[in-house]
Amino acid sequence: MKKIQRIAIANRGEVAVRIIRACEELGLETVLLHSDADMQSRAYRMATKKICIGAASGPAQSVNCYLNIEANINAALAAGADALHPGFGFLSENADFAEQCEKNGLVFIGPSADAIRKLGDKIFFKNLAKKAGLPLIPCYEGDDQSINVLLDEAEKIGLPVIVKAAAGGGGRGMKLIRQLSEAKDLIESAQREALSAFGSAKVFLEKYLERAKHIEFQIFGDSTGHVEHLFDRECSVQRRHQKIIEEATSPSLTKELRRKMGEIACTIASLGQYKNAGTVEFLLQDNQFYLLEVNTRLQVEHPVTEEVLGIDLVKMQILTAQGNFIFSPQDIRMPKGHAIECRVYAENPYQSGMPSTGKLGLVRWPEGPRRRFEYGFESEDTITSYYDPMIAKVIVWDENRNRAIDKMIRTLKDSVIFGVSTNIPYLIEILNHDEFRSAKMTTRFIETYFADGLKSKSDDEQVKKWAQLVNKKLKSTQGQSATQSADQPLLNSVVSPWASYWRGV
Amino acid sequence: MKNNFSVIIDGQEKTVTAEIIDKKIWFKLDAQTYSWDLIDLAEGNYQSNYKKTKSSSKSPDKILAPMPGKVIKIFVSENQTVSKGDTLLVMEAMKMEYTLKADIDSTVEKIFSKVGEQVTLGYLLIQLKNDKQG
Repeated sequence: MKKIQRIAIANRGEVAVRIIRACEELGLETVLLHSDADMQSRAYRMATKKICIGAASGPAQSVNCYLNIEANINAALAAGADALHPGFGFLSENADFAEQCEKNGLVFIGPSADAIRKLGDKIFFKNLAKKAGLPLIPCYEGDDQSINVLLDEAEKIGLPVIVKAAAGGGGRGMKLIRQLSEAKDLIESAQREALSAFGSAKVFLEKYLERAKHIEFQIFGDSTGHVEHLFDRECSVQRRHQKIIEEATSPSLTKELRRKMGEIACTIASLGQYKNAGTVEFLLQDNQFYLLEVNTRLQVEHPVTEEVLGIDLVKMQILTAQGNFIFSPQDIRMPKGHAIECRVYAENPYQSGMPSTGKLGLVRWPEGPRRRFEYGFESEDTITSYYDPMIAKVIVWDENRNRAIDKMIRTLKDSVIFGVSTNIPYLIEILNHDEFRSAKMTTRFIETYFADGLKSKSDDEQVKKWAQLVNKKLKSTQGQSATQSADQPLLNSVVSPWASYWRGV
Repeated sequence: MKNNFSVIIDGQEKTVTAEIIDKKIWFKLDAQTYSWDLIDLAEGNYQSNYKKTKSSSKSPDKILAPMPGKVIKIFVSENQTVSKGDTLLVMEAMKMEYTLKADIDSTVEKIFSKVGEQVTLGYLLIQLKNDKQG
């Protein structure tokens, strides 16, 4: 196997930064393959080389450049990269992309194209699991994607039914059908989202479990193809099927369940001859667990596993791709303490999570022991509407779950992000909720208690008074006329209802 | 740091972090972040901008873009009658879809956007005509 010297990164935001950091520590150069909208970002400033592979907006927007296989490969080759890390989302689970990379002499840092096809294609994976006698949820996975067939199948499975992108993950293109009357609209909407996010409109249907917990196992196949699991995470706190808070290890597993599920995770990965990092997802309800899917990539929430085990999964990925990582029987990995991750999104929690865009002002992350901040954007960078609304991930570790929760709340309270609204107040409310504290939350937790976001606690007149006071003080502290710009006429002649609809953001 | 200072609120000294960004003041007080339009704080402008615009956002005959993003599907055409709860239009931003529905029984008077169009926050997408007002 050839030595890797320069790694191309087909991704953006915090995960691009994460990969660059691992490369730097291994003494490798990096090439960031980016869109024109991401030139004001931390990864752009950090990468050894960068190549713009397309525009985020304008007439050429029809195919998102991060989904363009040819553009990514051509740029990686032009920059002299010998390997490529796909991150997560975008092309990370695209078997054709992995295959094209290898064909063009780029080492794909992830599982083989064949393993992605076997395990990553949810339908293929389910057949594989079925043959092996592993527990699955009732579903429709057929090739006939006509709307009438999908509607019939949804009825057969019995509502509630979930619609998912066959090629996807991370909540994109997922819809929940509760009533047959809304089924057609929701299926069509899921197909459109799937097409725009993953380049394929194929969807499948599945019975929705009402009180389930989302449990997943980190698996890893070393250079020799030997698969081990690196314990579990719980990601039950999800909104519209997108994870918000994740933790390791799951507070819901008995020793016996952990052993059984871990074994099954390894079995399924071994069936796919899995090399590199992956995740086997389960739903757990009333002590029954069901295999959900395999994500053939690094997960957004990988840091919580890293924190409880003291490992670096991205480095392990690169070393495995180089043929340089082999599990040793001497390494006994036991999780220690508890880790929690919160995803900080640019959205307004007081307006049911409306996306918030704009230029970041002050950004301050309160450093401390076992507090970790993964972020892709800094002061002066702009959060655009073209991509994912995640600004950062905050990860904390402590000796037990309760202390980790307390540490997370404190860390979030001390974080400063100006310029866009964030979901931080929402995260704090969730962390403080009895059902979360007692670890009883299911995947319906958010829907049940936080469906409409938060109600603002502060009254507008009060906030205005504070704003006046603070503004006056800021003016005198900075010795400049802070209100000067306010004397100018309002530039936006169209009065937007949102422009000044600012409460406690 | 210039952005950190203390203020007296209700007789108590509090540490505040503050910054002006794009005609808004952003500040953090008691672990909460707030922002407010500066124009609304300027002297001689006592009427709350917030109150003024809040009422306009409540006029159900104007379907405004609740966020910057792309129009991906329009379900109605001009002169079509719609009922309360009918889906009018789907927008996409940050790869998520948002569905805008009619809040009133009405007629579609004018459509100001096209499928595929990128629109700004607050953009008037559809003008409805309230049937009851005739």
